[in-house]
Amino acid sequence: MQSANMLLRKIVRSSVLPFAAQHVMKKDLFPLSRTLSLSLCLKQDKSCEPSEKLDLDEWKKVMKSGLQEEVSETVSEPEKLSSLAAARETLEMWRLAGRAVPENISEEQLKTFMECPSKSAKKKYLKYLHLKELHKKNDKRKMAEKRERRLEAQDQASKTDDETKTSPFICLWSRTMDKAYNWRAAQSMIFGQPLVFDMSYEKEMSVREVTNTVKQIILSESCNRRSPDPFHIHFCNLKDDSLYHREFIENYREAWSKLLVTVTDQCYTEIFPKDKLIYLTADSPKVMKTFDHDKIYIVGSMVDKSIKRGVSLARAKRLGLETAALPLEKYLLWNTGAKNLTLDQMMHILLTLKDTADWKKALEFVPKRKYCGFVNKPVKELKKTLDLINTLKIGKRRENIEKQFAKNCPKK
Amino acid sequence: VQPPEKPLQAEEWNKLREDFQVPDIFEEVMLNSMIRCNSPIDVAKSLLTDLAKRNGDIGYSVLVKYLTLCVQQGQVSEIRDVYDIMKVRFKILEGGAYNLLVKGLSNSDQWRMALTLLEEIKKIMIPSRTCYESCIKAASRHQEMKLAFALYREMLAKDVVPTLDVLQSFFDFSRGMTGAELQKELFGILLYLRENQIYPHKTFMRSIKLWFESIPGGNWRGHLTNIKDSGQCPVCKHQLEDSNLTEEEYSNLSERIIKDVIHGTDTFRKTSPKEFEAFQTFVENRLPFDIVIDGLNVSHIKSRRMQCENLFDAVNCLAKENARLLVLGRKHMLMNSSNWKREIMKEMQTKADFFFAENISEDDTFLLYATLRSGKHCRFVTRDFLRDHKACLSDSLTRHLFRKWQRGHQISKPKCFFSVFSQQPAFRYDCVVQTTGDTWHIPYKDVFEEKYSYQVPKEWLCLQQK
Repeated sequence: MQSANMLLRKIVRSSVLPFAAQHVMKKDLFPLSRTLSLSLCLKQDKSCEPSEKLDLDEWKKVMKSGLQEEVSETVSEPEKLSSLAAARETLEMWRLAGRAVPENISEEQLKTFMECPSKSAKKKYLKYLHLKELHKKNDKRKMAEKRERRLEAQDQASKTDDETKTSPFICLWSRTMDKAYNWRAAQSMIFGQPLVFDMSYEKEMSVREVTNTVKQIILSESCNRRSPDPFHIHFCNLKDDSLYHREFIENYREAWSKLLVTVTDQCYTEIFPKDKLIYLTADSPKVMKTFDHDKIYIVGSMVDKSIKRGVSLARAKRLGLETAALPLEKYLLWNTGAKNLTLDQMMHILLTLKDTADWKKALEFVPKRKYCGFVNKPVKELKKTLDLINTLKIGKRRENIEKQFAKNCPKK
Repeated sequence: VQPPEKPLQAEEWNKLREDFQVPDIFEEVMLNSMIRCNSPIDVAKSLLTDLAKRNGDIGYSVLVKYLTLCVQQGQVSEIRDVYDIMKVRFKILEGGAYNLLVKGLSNSDQWRMALTLLEEIKKIMIPSRTCYESCIKAASRHQEMKLAFALYREMLAKDVVPTLDVLQSFFDFSRGMTGAELQKELFGILLYLRENQIYPHKTFMRSIKLWFESIPGGNWRGHLTNIKDSGQCPVCKHQLEDSNLTEEEYSNLSERIIKDVIHGTDTFRKTSPKEFEAFQTFVENRLPFDIVIDGLNVSHIKSRRMQCENLFDAVNCLAKENARLLVLGRKHMLMNSSNWKREIMKEMQTKADFFFAENISEDDTFLLYATLRSGKHCRFVTRDFLRDHKACLSDSLTRHLFRKWQRGHQISKPKCFFSVFSQQPAFRYDCVVQTTGDTWHIPYKDVFEEKYSYQVPKEWLCLQQK
């Protein structure tokens, strides 16, 4: 039947087919079609008149015909493209092929794209730009919607009530709040406990990692300023015109010079007595037990996306400083992820510790995905249940347990 | 979506499109499922016709999908038509479409057009390995071996890594052909395998064997065999290459280990300069050792026993052979604890030299240094694969050297030893493709057998000229 169908289809396609034959054969040809909707269509077709024959190569004619004028244009264009233009052209083709490529790309971005050392690096960079563009577009759309809603609300408000409201409370505008925060920050610069950000990791990081670091520091600084009892922040080892410095200026602009923090290119060991310094690093063998108000804690300003173990520990070792790690294992049942936290998370944790000395409250700021829960039972018991889960996962060990069980049974 | 079995009319496509949830991507989804089901090409054509009539244009991604279907079914005239349309419509194409075009054309009698297309691609970008693969295969299929080898050399020059398939096809298509030039080229491929420590799989090995045996007047005979631990081939009684490094390689490797692994970017990351200096003088005063033991690693062999007992067994067993031992450990082992008994530790220190590193230092780097410093005869004991130390080496050549040295000098024990500490012998011979002119020995791997990077194949192809 199949082959007969194929044959018939060929006949139908050939242009010399007489009309009558087509009309007769249709009955045999189409009942095989699967979808109900199709057969319905066909019935309608049949009822009015036999449909015209399908010209399968018609799309080629369409594609070619619409292009005649364009062809002459392209031919007249200069053949050789500059490398930048060629790259732009390639990107356009990638976009047409449905890859994650941004619609608009600036000259500078195009240059960075071309400087990427490998194909995968190029892809990664383009995907990053593409996502950035999408986010930007979404934000713009949301802003527009919000503006519209606000205008509508204003219209309605102006219609309904005319009298001006008098509030019994003083309205605290953000400027007033800022003044209050700055007052506190200024106080902390005189009386507050120092907290050091060690800005000596520029060589260890890529440009994007430095950007991320600076963003995280800005977040930490703002949450420090808003806290009831802020730290006196020190940016140590910050060289003028380093990448860190340039990023800071780009983000803070004029506010950079008014920031209530201490910025210095000196090392913390030159400013503070060595025995008071404690370097916080996840690689430290020592675990922090309590927050000490007399010590000066140092946080390494580093984002390491490629795992560089022991870099900050090495720095502390070199200077002969005491080190400490957060007691994550002791309080949290760790699930996945690295034990190094972002700088703003560190800041939140340290601030909470300073104010409350409550580890549980402080470690709330560790991302939820990284741990299963707080340790509420003795660690030994928890380890048992964890082991049990693991043995259930791994068949081999289960056999061992069964053997042990068999051994234990006769004794009883 | 189920693609229809026959070409449909415009109204019918419309109906289907309306039933589909997201009409915007209907064509792409439909073509994808056509590719999956390998639908007749006419069905796809009718869809394109409908699309062209409605929009007056067909998008690039849809064209590429149609091209995929054509290549899948080997519709050469269609491939050419699509290429003509694309060439007029777009200034350049991207890699995916070029790959498809080259692949489609090279499998047909118009394979020379694939070559011209390859030239075109080269103007814009570096062609992908699949492009080269298709062209090389097409050329060698038509007995144009010179052209195929020219393409192969060009590929290597551009740092495009050839697939094993391409290399195999050279052997397949050169079977029974004469010519010293050709032989030289194929030997060159075997040397490429040797230099990059690539092991051919079973079918590739068969192609090599058949080619050797087909050389007219060559009198080559191939045998499959297993090499003994002694490194002698059971078939031709030939002794395989030694696993030892040459003097130059050896000094090169030790230099790089000190530079990249121990010091790296910052000496403080793994040790401290003071400690490393102390260790260096310690080693220099007691050289040379015969066996260097990673104390902590060995002490964890049997989890039910006390850690120092495990170490004690190992030291006792190795000390019997009157060898000079060095045990590396950390300072915490000296503290009297439930796992580390002071008396046992003291007794051990009479049988072997001990060096205790700081608790936060990495003792593996010391292990590597002490072993390399002691000379070629010295071996080391650990179960660790030392992957992270290998990764610290900056170039692949040194990493290969490290693997080779490791294979020859590392003793790792079987999982459970009871009273006797039995050692797994380190490899005495080097596991790479090798030749003496009238013999070739080629290690190969079974495709079905899982192979880790630290494992080497046991099966060999022995070729000898009579």
